[in-house]
Amino acid sequence: MRTLDLTEKDPSKRITIYFEGEEYEAYEGEKFPVAMLANGVYWLTISTEGRHRGAFTFGPVPLTVNGVKNINGRKLRVRDGMRIKRQSYDEFQEQVNVDRDKPVLRYVVDVAVIGAGPAGLGAVEEIGGKLTVALIEERGWLGGDMWLKGVEQEDFGDPRGAIEKLTNFPENVRVFLSTAALGVFDRGEYLLVPAVRKDQLIEVMAKRIVIATGAVDSIMLFENNDYPGVFRRSDALEVINVWGVAPGRRVAVVGAFPEEVLPELERWGIEYVVVPNPRRVEGVGRVERLIDGNGNVYEVDAVIMADGRIPDINPVTQAGGKLRFKRGYYTPVLDDRHRIREGIYVAGSAVSVKPHHANYLEGKLVGANVLKEFGFEAEPCTYRERLREYEPVGRQIPRFPLDEFRGEDVQICGCGVTLKKVDDVVKSGITDLQIIKRLTHLAMGFCQGRFCLFNGALLASQRNGTPMGELDMPVARPPIKNVRMKVPAGRD
Amino acid sequence: MPTRSLPERSEITIVGGGIVGVTIAHELAKRGEDVTVIEKRFIGSGSTFRCGTGIRQQFNDEANVRTMKRSVELWRKYSEEYGFSFEQTGYLFLLYDDDEVEEFKRNIAIQNRFGVPTRLITSEEAKEIVPLIDISEVIAASWNPTDGKADPFYATAAFALNAERFGAKLVEYTEVKDFIVENGKIKGLKTNWGVIRTGTVINATNAWAKLINAMAGIGVKIPIEPYKHQAVITQPIKRGSIKPMVISFKYGHAYLTQTAHGGIVGGVGYELGPTYDLSPTYEFMREVSYYFTKIVPALRELLILRTWAGYYAKTPDSNPTIGKIEELDDYYIAAGFSGHGFMMAPAVAEMMAELVTKGRTDLPVNWYDPYRFERGELRGQALQMG
Repeated sequence: MRTLDLTEKDPSKRITIYFEGEEYEAYEGEKFPVAMLANGVYWLTISTEGRHRGAFTFGPVPLTVNGVKNINGRKLRVRDGMRIKRQSYDEFQEQVNVDRDKPVLRYVVDVAVIGAGPAGLGAVEEIGGKLTVALIEERGWLGGDMWLKGVEQEDFGDPRGAIEKLTNFPENVRVFLSTAALGVFDRGEYLLVPAVRKDQLIEVMAKRIVIATGAVDSIMLFENNDYPGVFRRSDALEVINVWGVAPGRRVAVVGAFPEEVLPELERWGIEYVVVPNPRRVEGVGRVERLIDGNGNVYEVDAVIMADGRIPDINPVTQAGGKLRFKRGYYTPVLDDRHRIREGIYVAGSAVSVKPHHANYLEGKLVGANVLKEFGFEAEPCTYRERLREYEPVGRQIPRFPLDEFRGEDVQICGCGVTLKKVDDVVKSGITDLQIIKRLTHLAMGFCQGRFCLFNGALLASQRNGTPMGELDMPVARPPIKNVRMKVPAGRD
Repeated sequence: MPTRSLPERSEITIVGGGIVGVTIAHELAKRGEDVTVIEKRFIGSGSTFRCGTGIRQQFNDEANVRTMKRSVELWRKYSEEYGFSFEQTGYLFLLYDDDEVEEFKRNIAIQNRFGVPTRLITSEEAKEIVPLIDISEVIAASWNPTDGKADPFYATAAFALNAERFGAKLVEYTEVKDFIVENGKIKGLKTNWGVIRTGTVINATNAWAKLINAMAGIGVKIPIEPYKHQAVITQPIKRGSIKPMVISFKYGHAYLTQTAHGGIVGGVGYELGPTYDLSPTYEFMREVSYYFTKIVPALRELLILRTWAGYYAKTPDSNPTIGKIEELDDYYIAAGFSGHGFMMAPAVAEMMAELVTKGRTDLPVNWYDPYRFERGELRGQALQMG
């Protein structure tokens, strides 16, 4: 077993890869960052500003693989003999192959469900068999965030078992895995969802859309919060429960929601310490210790951020939805049928953060509403009743000790937006979030604000006193997920 | 810092806080005038922050060449004084057939006559300037190294902060609802936050100019309509990869360049409207990707970060309307820039400040005469892309 392996892997899949010329043991098809983590290697990339980064916080992980530059390291699956090198963010492949364009794959369905977590699966369970469905899931698995869980879930029990039950789809449900929806566009009586799977462009025309794209983990602000060895909750759970690799030998769990991670660590016997108020991470090229707001020092090799989740508002604002601020986060404004506008429904943690089973019920509720639109018998009110038993999770609006931080070490965004950069703009007399965004490039990089905009909003609000609900929030523009230009460039 | 509180009175009020309104306020305040800008959302939010960043003198008529020559001088002066990025990295027009070459030879002659150093170069020379371009079909290029680009965010913020330093007031999130006029004289403006007393109004609202003209009740025919144009930006790559603005009429009337931040930005001639809708379209994403990857094949492997839309506030001849409207005392207009507002703004601001304070200017303002449509004297189409 490798340094951080938790489980035995299939020996027939054992391979050798080379990173920066060094030989490492890996398993065929493993994600590259996971293979490196298992070997105890956290540092994978260097930001434009020269910061060492891993693959489990934010920022891109571009790599040179077998001589080809600018390969996305987060998604890279390793093969035997692969030679992988670090590269800077701005390197790119100058000589490219102009291969023949692949024809666009086109589908026409009654309903496109974007996101196959408990909410999306709930919606499909409700409408499947009656209406034709395209279920579009960006990740390589069904079940969304619940697939990452190893412990029993409220009202669902064993998460894997529950997902298996929900994924016995009828014939008229077409599933698109590892397929990222690029947005929602009006097409007369239809709505168009273009999507991309590897280099394949897919166009799904649907009469109704269900946005079930879930929530994102909050990024906590502390010094060196981008160091190799710092993990988002979801990435930590993925390496543990999907790949059988530990985030570290001794980890610190930081943030207001440690209970979302601790049972998973305990299950595997991973040693941990809970630190509610992290101030600074230190180490040579990777996490070696964590210092909290009281000056206590913890010797750890990984830090897991468990500071709660917030709805991913990008798919909603791109599709024309409006937002309001409630329970400590932005949430779509819905009509009494759970729609942001005619034809577009939202369900699950894209609406509010709550247990998986509540998201599933919300998916069923939306599914029932869709069925009624198509003239089928359905009873959304029963799901609405059951949903009332779950109170969505509220988040306290944090107040950051902004003036105590070393501003250049606190990363708001992986694209080089530091606390200092934002504060410098604020001090120059600009307090409008829309202009702060444009002068700092906050929310203008790879994630289009998915991970950084909320913290930017908190900062603007804390600095200028404007309540979060009154900020002029930027909307997401298509494509809502990055796509290589050659994919939409094809002509057919 | 821009506020949300409306002053009770202001000698001059500029409606519209884009680059044109803000630079006019800057020039007027610098000349000691009492001036207020009223912007319905935030500074730059209309078309300025959505623009393609290019600043060129390669036009096809005398007036626009002269105006842009002055504008470039002012861009250089203020970028040095205020410390924002304005790079004279040139405009490179890729030419693919003899007719195009002949047309550009005529344009180059006009440009050279007014001291703009444009010249015709070979495709190999073009490739030396931008090694990433595909020149397999290019036969020549029109190249002016003194054209350039600026960051609309930093430039507009710098003009805004310095306008305030000279005493101008910038009021955001305030919408003009009506004019108060007595005996043909402007007395004030009604806004959603109350009344501002003022004697002079400058309409710098570009895409919304016809709405403000209607409020002013002027009878002159000034046709300005908003058209949706879109732009794209890719992931940042090594600085200096595409220094100039590269233009290709053959491939979609495309313009593209690299921003100071490193992304490749630009658009194609895909026009929708007239409309006030600004939602980006899927068709644009496909069109721009097809054309851009023809011009620069290496873009195939770069990630698109986002697309967005802005307005070309177009007149029938793609030239702006700039000047005094005689029917209403005192009402001026600087609008209808047809995609050229950002690049022209510093010269237009100087033009307008001279008109307002002295009643005359040496810059060729007559070309932009707002009455030309009523008289049926349209100008030649200004050279336009995107």
